[in-house]
Amino acid sequence: MLPAMLPRQSNLDPAAAYPKITALRAALDAGDWPACRELLDAAEQAERSYLTAAVADVDGLEDFLRGVLRGDPGDGTAGALLGQYLVEAAWRIRTRARAEHVSREQFVAFRAGLVEAERVLVDAAARSPRDSAIWTARLVTARGLQLGLPEIRRRYGRLAEIDPHHLPGQQQMLQSLCTKWYGDAALTYEFAKEAAAAAPAGAPNPVLLAEAYIEHSEVVTDVDRVRAELREAAMRSVWHPDFRRTHGWVRTMSTFAMAFVLLDDQPAAASLFDALGGLGSRWPWEYLGDPAATIEKFRARAGGNT
Amino acid sequence: MNDPFEVDGIPALLAPTTGPMHAGLVFRVGHADEPLARRGITHLIEHLALFSFGVADYHYNGTTGVEHTFFHMQGAEDDIVAFLHGVCAGLHDLPMHRLATEKEILRTEENGRGEGAADALALWRHGARDYGMPGYPEWGLTGLTPDDLRAWTARYFNRQNAALWIAGSGVPAGLELKLPEGTRRPAPTPSSTLPVRPAYFAGGSDVVAWDAVVERGQSTAVFADLLKRSLFRSLRQESGLSYNVHTEYTPRAGGRALLTAVADSLPEKQEAVLGGFVDVLAAARLGRFDPAEVAVVAGRRREELGRAEEAGARLPGQVFNLLDGRPVQSLDEVLAELDTVTRDSVAAVAAAACADGLLMTPGRSEADRAGYTAAPTGSERTVEGATYPALGAPEIRLTVGETGLTLAREDSAVTVLFAECSAVLQWPDGARRFVGHDAIHVQVEPALFPNGPEVIAALDARTLPELRVPMPARGPDRIPRPPAPTPAQRPPNAVERMVIRAIRRVRGR
Repeated sequence: MLPAMLPRQSNLDPAAAYPKITALRAALDAGDWPACRELLDAAEQAERSYLTAAVADVDGLEDFLRGVLRGDPGDGTAGALLGQYLVEAAWRIRTRARAEHVSREQFVAFRAGLVEAERVLVDAAARSPRDSAIWTARLVTARGLQLGLPEIRRRYGRLAEIDPHHLPGQQQMLQSLCTKWYGDAALTYEFAKEAAAAAPAGAPNPVLLAEAYIEHSEVVTDVDRVRAELREAAMRSVWHPDFRRTHGWVRTMSTFAMAFVLLDDQPAAASLFDALGGLGSRWPWEYLGDPAATIEKFRARAGGNT
Repeated sequence: MNDPFEVDGIPALLAPTTGPMHAGLVFRVGHADEPLARRGITHLIEHLALFSFGVADYHYNGTTGVEHTFFHMQGAEDDIVAFLHGVCAGLHDLPMHRLATEKEILRTEENGRGEGAADALALWRHGARDYGMPGYPEWGLTGLTPDDLRAWTARYFNRQNAALWIAGSGVPAGLELKLPEGTRRPAPTPSSTLPVRPAYFAGGSDVVAWDAVVERGQSTAVFADLLKRSLFRSLRQESGLSYNVHTEYTPRAGGRALLTAVADSLPEKQEAVLGGFVDVLAAARLGRFDPAEVAVVAGRRREELGRAEEAGARLPGQVFNLLDGRPVQSLDEVLAELDTVTRDSVAAVAAAACADGLLMTPGRSEADRAGYTAAPTGSERTVEGATYPALGAPEIRLTVGETGLTLAREDSAVTVLFAECSAVLQWPDGARRFVGHDAIHVQVEPALFPNGPEVIAALDARTLPELRVPMPARGPDRIPRPPAPTPAQRPPNAVERMVIRAIRRVRGR
């Protein structure tokens, strides 16, 4: 059998493209907080938030981080990570199933977990009011606790003061603006457009337009206009010479690819699949089913060189 | 300000000021002294004592506060002498022929006042006793008799329970304060209904409010100002969520002080105002103060105290100290204390205040996510006794026992024990409301229970006379009726509404 005939699956592990995650996980597993801090403190702001969210599923983090915070209650990094961990743990209890498939007990435990996360983050934000990772995590708790759009906007406002182009926080804000939460397609697009336009050339932020489209593709009628808009967004982002293959780049490209797939723009999708090589991201492909299989299906349909 | 001296055996303070003389006669009595069934008696006496002045062209007034009641006037010496003589004479011989009219005036005044956040906080913190009284209407008015008023004035409006302040050149010639002999009445010990603090309750309005009781002092006063600045920055300047933001520092008896903070909100922005508010309090709790700002605020307070001294505005507070048995503080002493205020001393006060805090959330918002425990809205215990299912809603049960009464449904109950009852409101149609010391109340509507009139008669037999509060008749449309049989899908009937109200808004008016 020829190797080319083997079903080839993309590597969906974020650490595959970004070894800092592996290093951070190893430091956490070893209980080496100074090493974790060294890694995280050296990262730029959005990267730090990205890393914090990426390792929030490491087992046994809670006891470890509470220990760190007992030693230094002012450690905002530990606060942000513990908050993210507790959010992640709460979602594991709830599961991502639709609300009608979640039991009352699961909801009670979910809410209790988010309350605990928020309490940690209230203190962390009070001690480190200019820590963008903490405000990013608080955008997640605000949504889960159903505090509503005004409070979410207040929190985003605090984040934007610190870092106006903080993509991990913008992605959380965008989720809250979706029809499925507190907003609608128009609000989501408006936010995505503004954030994309404000970001410097080559930045990943225009991916917000792809996300806005993916979240509301069923209500989009003017497909040609959206396709043109998205191509323009890609020109200022993933197709821009200054686009950097740094933290989150795989998810950014992968998200653009899925948006182009949904828009039936095969050449655009193919160029991104090519650029991704064997790498991919679970989100947003998991919306369409098993992400690895779905990516392969659409990669094949788009054609391209790989 | 001079050292304390006496006028007719009444302790007095004098501050030399220029301009028209200003004087006040203060008594150590206020809302906190009133039993709920006599709520309003001090205010009524204050009004009656001032009646003789009518519409005289004087700058005079009377104020009934939580711990003190005072009569004050600004004007020429002769007028002040006449005013204070008139107040003493009025207290000695209250114009009882005015009783019905003054009660009516007070009811009108109350209707126009509305329920303030500070009053709601007082009720939830202290219950239906002493310092919780500002949260209640003047329910005692209807039943108050001339004898009740005379007994109250004898107890509280006497020479030993009074103090005088004068801002002006000296004691006005010819001043005589003729008051009966009596006893100094210390302020009551505050009750608490909060098993856990910090606590919260849903206030149901477009306001976020918070209070705490801490040690009084200049660090506490400075903290109140710093808190206002933080709230203003966060809620108004940064996010435009609130328009009115204020804090207050109110010295209390026993060396304590009440701190209050209030921020308003647009109805649709409630959760965001609450979010900003609890974040500001969290920063305060963790001592996040800028030493430079502490110094600025302390400096402003220094200037304000200097101006207050010149205007004699420190006198009332110092006279309250005299009545509470505390030393009078000269301006120099206060300023020396202010000099000791540091970031750390403010942080210590803030930590204590936040640990004691009671938060009133807007609408029905919860605050457990910010570390506040829900204040009790029902009763832990229930009584044993004869049980009556409500007409048309058998899951709702009234139990009347030897020790008290319980209104229960499947998952919640409210209980008032006869031995811990503050008042029993009695309507002519037979309805009764038992208000417990903890401010939880049980309302019994005779029309909603099978043998309602007998139940009411049995309850009345157990009601101490001094707890009875006669209420004005209710219109027929305000008297709940048992529900007619209805199909399955229907809105809550009168019985269910009653219980829902009883359990959710147990402490409301």
